[in-house]
Amino acid sequence: MTVATAESVLSIKDLNVEFSGFKALKGVNLEVYDGEIVTIIGPNGAGKSTLLDAIVSKSPVASGHVYYHGKDITNKLPYEIARMGIGRKFQNPNVYNELTVFDNILLALKGTHGIFSSIMAKLTKAKKGKIYDVLERTGLLDQAFDEVSSLSHGQKQWVEIAMVLAQDPSIVLLDEPTAGMTTEETHATGEIIKSIAKSHSIVVIEHDMEFVKQIAERIVVLHQGAVLAEGSVQEVQSNPKVIEVYLGRETINAAA
Amino acid sequence: MSNVVMGYKQSTFPKKLAIVSGIILLAFVILPFMVGSFQLSLMSKLLLFGALAVSLDLVWGFTGILSFAHGVFFTLGGYAVAYYLKLNLSAENNNYGGDIPDFMVWNGLEVLPWFIAPLKYFPVAFLAMIGVPALFAYITGSFIFRSKVSGVYITIITLALSSALTTFFISQQAYTGGTNGITDVSKLSVFGMVIPPVGLYFLILAYTAFVVALAWWLTQSNFGLILRSINENENRISFLGYDVAQYKIFVWTLSAALAGVAGGLFVPLNRFISPVYLAVAFGTQVVIWVAIGGRGTIVGPLAAAMILGQVQNSAERVTQDWNLIVGILLLVVVLFIPNGLMSLVPKKFSLSNLSKPKPMPETVVKPVAPSVSEPQPEPVQRGS
Repeated sequence: MTVATAESVLSIKDLNVEFSGFKALKGVNLEVYDGEIVTIIGPNGAGKSTLLDAIVSKSPVASGHVYYHGKDITNKLPYEIARMGIGRKFQNPNVYNELTVFDNILLALKGTHGIFSSIMAKLTKAKKGKIYDVLERTGLLDQAFDEVSSLSHGQKQWVEIAMVLAQDPSIVLLDEPTAGMTTEETHATGEIIKSIAKSHSIVVIEHDMEFVKQIAERIVVLHQGAVLAEGSVQEVQSNPKVIEVYLGRETINAAA
Repeated sequence: MSNVVMGYKQSTFPKKLAIVSGIILLAFVILPFMVGSFQLSLMSKLLLFGALAVSLDLVWGFTGILSFAHGVFFTLGGYAVAYYLKLNLSAENNNYGGDIPDFMVWNGLEVLPWFIAPLKYFPVAFLAMIGVPALFAYITGSFIFRSKVSGVYITIITLALSSALTTFFISQQAYTGGTNGITDVSKLSVFGMVIPPVGLYFLILAYTAFVVALAWWLTQSNFGLILRSINENENRISFLGYDVAQYKIFVWTLSAALAGVAGGLFVPLNRFISPVYLAVAFGTQVVIWVAIGGRGTIVGPLAAAMILGQVQNSAERVTQDWNLIVGILLLVVVLFIPNGLMSLVPKKFSLSNLSKPKPMPETVVKPVAPSVSEPQPEPVQRGS
């Protein structure tokens, strides 16, 4: 993908996030271009989830800016950011266990989120078609009317991915979408993500290097709240600083 | 694409539910002709308490906001109507000539206060009955739900609201009648004709039926789904683009208006209103009705308010300590039936099941993995 000519969807400038004195992010800069997959890796506590939290305003930004299509969205309210077209999948499946899969997707569907429209909303053919579509893409058609609490961990992850798809955001932020999945499920998730990438920009946090290799176009390595390295899988793996940080770690060994 | 997904209907009103509702409504319609005047008056009161419980159910049962302030909304509506009825006492029933209520004279007021005077007129009183509790809820709700306050702290604020208003109403004796409240009000009449107890009963029955139907209709829609989602995890839904605070303020205000009208109808029945209904003790009773009946079930809280009212009435004849019986009942429910009495109703008879039929499962071979492309699982070595 030719990065230089593409439009920047998300632009993060000198982002700092602090938690009562602890600097979780220290001056992070990141550009996400239209239609690309950016994979963020890094050891535990590197600030990966915090970065996504700061983008969607789950964590307050101390200084720096987040621009979305050139518009400053720093510290806007979460629902405003979501309505603009930024979809977020959380690390642990953040789904509605007491509702059916269908209702979870229905909630997430793109559209007006006002009170009166929600009261008067009709479940149209178009909406059902869209729900059918995302359920099919995530392989959940047969579980459509099961309560989410009855699903496996991997299926719950898919429910949340399906919710993000139903939002139809222009950028998708995925926090460890394959956590707790079997090898087959992980692979299938990789294929889903690739298919999403055809029409969306994606930022994905991953630990699993096999999975990273399956999907990655550009990798950003975070370490202690700052960007340590950036580049293709090969570039990152051969970067001496990255090797030092990961030294003795199973992840990079398995990948090397 | 002929799949269960495409055939799914979100909100339906099946025949079974229509028949059950019809039979229950019919029973309430013929009730006045089967019972004496005491029971008629008691049932009227309990229907209003039921409507009050349903209004709290919207807020607590569906949205998860535990409020002890619903007595406050009820009473604010009640005072609006009490002023109206008090100001419309016929001259011979008012020792002071009909211009100013007796309790105001006793407390040294010589002129009817300007903010109470308009309540002499029915349209004003009617709007105040709905608008005052709604406005009070809208203002308090905007502060509570736009701030970072959450969970148990909201509940504490509702307790404080209830206590503060009780103290305020008692302290403003000249305007509110103090601890006694507003007593000896006139009967409610239409075009000079006093509405008889049976008429009042049917008015109340119609209102309670309206509240139940409205609550059912709202909670069956997408709106209800959103309320339930706020209850389960309000953070998640804000990341889907929903303004959670706006939803909470709306349901809080709506619920207050519904409670206020119940309070307004309570006054012509009860013939007085007093700060007793503002106090935390009454607010707690409403909470108990919802807890015992079953949160988020609508008919549960309604039934609990009415059954407990009858239990209380019977117990009162036997012992002064009827509160003890209600207390024990609450303990039993909380400990052994945490989801309330409605959870004892077999699923196939429950309202939610009647109104939301699960689609017939189709026998389809379950794919192991998503069928985006044909996934070819290769022997991969997994890291971490």
